[in-house]
Amino acid sequence: MAAKTLEREPAVRTTFSLSAPRPSWQVGLVFVAFAALSPFLGRALSGPFNGYHALILCFGVTYAMAALPLNLLMGYAGQISLGHAAFLGVGAYASGIIAGRLGLPFVLGLLVAMAAGAVAALVIGLPALRIRGLYLALVTLGFGLAMYSLVFRLRAVTGGYAGIAVPRPKAGTFEFSNNMDLLAMVIVLFGAVWLLDRNLMRTKVGRAFLALREEEDVAAAFGIDVPRYKIYAFVLYGAFAGAAGSVLGHVIGFAQQETFTFDFSLIFVVIVLIGGLRSRSGVALSAFFFGASPRLFGFLHDWVLLVAPALVLFTLVRHPRGLGGAIAEIQHAIRGRRSAKIESDDDEAAGHLALPRPVATDTRDVEKPLVVGDVVVRFGGLVAVDGVSLDVEHNRITGLIGPNGAGKTTLFNAVSGLVQTQQGQIVVNGVDVTKMPAHRRAAAGMGRTFQQIGLVKDLSVTENLLLAQHRLASYDPVSALGFLPQVSRGERRLRERAAETLSVLRFERYADADLGELSHGQQRIVEIAAASLTSPGLLLLDEPSAGMSPAAAEALAERLIQIRDEIGQTIFLIEHHLPLVMATCDRVHVMDSGRLLTTGTPAEIRRNPDVVAAYLGGRAR
Amino acid sequence: MGTILVIGIATGAVYGLFAFGLVLVYKATRVLNFAQAEIGAFAAFLTWTLTNPVHLPWALAAGIALAASGIVGMAFERLVIRPLISASRLTLVVATVSAGLLVGGVELKAWGGNPKILSSPFTFRGPSIAGVVLPPPRLVALIIGIVAAAVAAWFFRRTTFGLALLAAAQDVVGVRLTGIRLRHLSAFTWGVSSVIGGITGIVIALSLGAFAPFFMARLMLLAFAAAVVGGMTSLPGALVGGVAVGVAEATIAHFWISVPGLVETVMFGVIVLVLLVRPSGLLGRAA
Amino acid sequence: MSGILEVTGLETGFGSNQILHGVDFELAEGRTAALLGLNGAGKSVTLKTISGLQPAWKGSVKLAGRELVRLEAEDRIRAGLAHVLQSKAVFPALSVDENLRLGGAMVKDKQRFAANRERVMEIYPILGDRRSQLAGSLSGGEQAMLAVGRALMSDPRVLLVDEPSAGLSPLMVSQLGATLVKVRESGTSLLLVEQNVGYALELADDVFVLEKGRVVYHHEAKHLDEKRVASLLGIGELLGSARNRRTTRPKRKPPARKKATKPKKTTTTRRRSVR
Repeated sequence: MAAKTLEREPAVRTTFSLSAPRPSWQVGLVFVAFAALSPFLGRALSGPFNGYHALILCFGVTYAMAALPLNLLMGYAGQISLGHAAFLGVGAYASGIIAGRLGLPFVLGLLVAMAAGAVAALVIGLPALRIRGLYLALVTLGFGLAMYSLVFRLRAVTGGYAGIAVPRPKAGTFEFSNNMDLLAMVIVLFGAVWLLDRNLMRTKVGRAFLALREEEDVAAAFGIDVPRYKIYAFVLYGAFAGAAGSVLGHVIGFAQQETFTFDFSLIFVVIVLIGGLRSRSGVALSAFFFGASPRLFGFLHDWVLLVAPALVLFTLVRHPRGLGGAIAEIQHAIRGRRSAKIESDDDEAAGHLALPRPVATDTRDVEKPLVVGDVVVRFGGLVAVDGVSLDVEHNRITGLIGPNGAGKTTLFNAVSGLVQTQQGQIVVNGVDVTKMPAHRRAAAGMGRTFQQIGLVKDLSVTENLLLAQHRLASYDPVSALGFLPQVSRGERRLRERAAETLSVLRFERYADADLGELSHGQQRIVEIAAASLTSPGLLLLDEPSAGMSPAAAEALAERLIQIRDEIGQTIFLIEHHLPLVMATCDRVHVMDSGRLLTTGTPAEIRRNPDVVAAYLGGRAR
Repeated sequence: MGTILVIGIATGAVYGLFAFGLVLVYKATRVLNFAQAEIGAFAAFLTWTLTNPVHLPWALAAGIALAASGIVGMAFERLVIRPLISASRLTLVVATVSAGLLVGGVELKAWGGNPKILSSPFTFRGPSIAGVVLPPPRLVALIIGIVAAAVAAWFFRRTTFGLALLAAAQDVVGVRLTGIRLRHLSAFTWGVSSVIGGITGIVIALSLGAFAPFFMARLMLLAFAAAVVGGMTSLPGALVGGVAVGVAEATIAHFWISVPGLVETVMFGVIVLVLLVRPSGLLGRAA
Repeated sequence: MSGILEVTGLETGFGSNQILHGVDFELAEGRTAALLGLNGAGKSVTLKTISGLQPAWKGSVKLAGRELVRLEAEDRIRAGLAHVLQSKAVFPALSVDENLRLGGAMVKDKQRFAANRERVMEIYPILGDRRSQLAGSLSGGEQAMLAVGRALMSDPRVLLVDEPSAGLSPLMVSQLGATLVKVRESGTSLLLVEQNVGYALELADDVFVLEKGRVVYHHEAKHLDEKRVASLLGIGELLGSARNRRTTRPKRKPPARKKATKPKKTTTTRRRSVR
């Protein structure tokens, strides 16, 4: 059995429940409280602990803080950084310059470190956007080496080989010279990063990251600006890595070139992998271990480079879910067995005919929600769509049929914006979207389902419904980080709609189940419901009945008619299952070999000898 | 000018050879072998042990070391790469990176962090071209590079095995369906590229004088630049790219010798630039 | 009588998702069988499980009596199977000749290799014209022919072809069909998977219908229960048109082009069935 990959393994999810995450003011309050308490905390703890142990714990927690952003990048957004040490170094040197050389408050140093990390990430990330994961690894590797060998050695800026001293943080007149105080502060900062990370993952930004990782096309169809979110992920990573670097600098006491080597970068990759991608607790634990233990047990130091990579390799090959996976399994066991894989979908699919009310938007009802004008799509020398012109009428179900390879899905992809057209025009709800990127076309009032279910199988049903509403979230990504009140409100609305949808579909009991646990037919229903909910204008359904039994397909036909009649939406449908087409469509377009063969009512199509020949083929014309 | 060119070509030959190994593995298995550098370092360390404390003849020592690196490469292919055959590229990158770390860790444990000096087996000074003495190790690398290119050219097009290697990079399943045992192909490629890594490791160790674990990291960056410039899927491109990088490095070293780390930074910039502008490199085809 | 290919109780799937729930069928030597079914029924998976690209969970696959199910794909090919995937993929950066060479890589005997090559060239003369051309520069139909030709280079006992009509223009499809007839006539047993029913019926001697991972119907193509097959495949309305053409099957000559069919009784029950 092939080993699961980093991407295809079931998500090690943090527990999701419908309770909202802590808004930022609560986080802030906690932070301030702890910060104020930390000196007392330090005094209190200095009994059982001595200063040396405190310092070791500092390293442990700082490593944990440094590992979380890498987990965000690799685990959530599915990108990689082989230059993590360089980002940490940027932060450390920034603090060295601000707090050390210039003697300014350490908080300022921290902020500058974050800014520097973010800027560095932006500079690297922007060009790397077009480069896929593999090459990004190279670019970050190069960045790491370049920083190490050049920038961190420049006498003028970074103090050359000797580095810059980073003094203990000072808050006003109070200096964290005591190791215990430092530990308390480090814990507080780590906690802040943890909470921010946790909050972020409960907003549309976090969900967008997860979608990016899995299916970029699906993400774009939900209105997610894929390149932009990739950059967000990278910049966030840079900022938090910079912050962690700053803390590291304070803990070590100076920023020096030799700290930020290539293998230091790799250690963090190892930490994240062993901890289990996406598992905050696993990663933090594993980082803590790596940070604290070599210093606690001196002899371990030599063995780190031996044990760690061996562990990673072992993990990759045998237990891809890592430490976090083990934790998740325990969580699962405690929570009790979830519903076993649902077998038959016939009864389920047939029974519940209700569908959610779509969200009201201001896209106008035009006579022809979709007009395709002479569209040509070419892949190299192959012409997949050869000058096709067709339209779809308002509040009707229009079918698109044709033999395999006729170009139907390619046409859909052209309409969605997932492939480029070489020629022609596409107008959705009266808006010419021909030049628009895919994620903007969704806003024109168009929803889409995919042949392979266009949802993220590792997320729960609820999370998928939230993801589908991405562009309906009323807040912007920047405020998501701070989890301002508008974010809470926005999220609450999204969750209400998701819950309502679930109750209307009578799927409440699947709310927290992984989408992948549902039967195919049920997944399809969730997908269609999500599309219908968020796109009142036009629904593009790509072979929705694929893999369904005839009975389930009939139930699906009922739902489609219901969507047309009771909800008033427009459907454009690719189908192979001809009884479904015959039963539901008001009009049918037939494609063959990239061209539009004919158009007519189902009855007309059925009688058309050319159509019959195209389907049954095998004959020279 | 001539000096720079000669130095550039001499060093570039080594980069090119290393890049050749990288591209070979990439062409046949679509995996970027981040561990090749450390395997090369391993070969150097092993040669040192076999020549210094254990006084084996140099050629024998090097031979054993190269065989060992080939075995390490094949073992890695068997134990890690093959089980991960359907994994994402990201997973494979991490796997090879970890493997490199592991080998480095072994080196640290076995040989310690103190630099070692590998004594040169060559008694002659090496030819003098354009006023520059071409050190024998470099000369050897250059010769090996040329021979490797010639052998590869013959091998890939003329033998069924070689053809299958090329085909495997285009369509793995298709190769399986011809009945050819893919695992042999894969093992072979990794073995060869590891040996190439070993050769370059020994050559660099000789050139550097003193070497310590992870000394090949810098070479990695330069060789990747070479492979990217030449085109990740082009074997001759790797050699050409290597020479280009070598010359660039010699030029930079000549004019801006006072700025440390400039070469690495420039190479980094080159990689990014090429990937942006022409990802298939000079001679490669769209990957 | 045991067939050249015997599949018994084949079960497989992906992860926790089971696709084949016990597939049983037999391909008689020298005959062509078509495996029909809806999307998702498991047709392609069946072929892949037979050729070894998909590991089987349970069941048996016997080629001329020899059990293959524990063997790797490469070894099954060596045993005499060949499999043309739906993508009809060739090695695009290699020439036609090099592609064919790889197809015959397992044939050690030079004479046999040459004989196989000649047979392929005879069936697909166009490949001879394009010998040194890069496979990727061929048209779709030519690539399909190369894909089949490559599979034939090993002179397999059983050739598995996954949806020969997929992705090709009608003209190409019919040309390819004609070549498959020639392949059959030269003694290779064929197992086809097809969505295009009429096409399959023209080529096949025996028909097996797959539904949800099991063979639910099988019969000689000549005496097929059309209604049953049509309802299993959900193309009731259209299959009728094919019926007229089948009378000339034994000669395999294209029948006269049929006129518009009589409108079928509209199955109103389908439209308004209330649950």
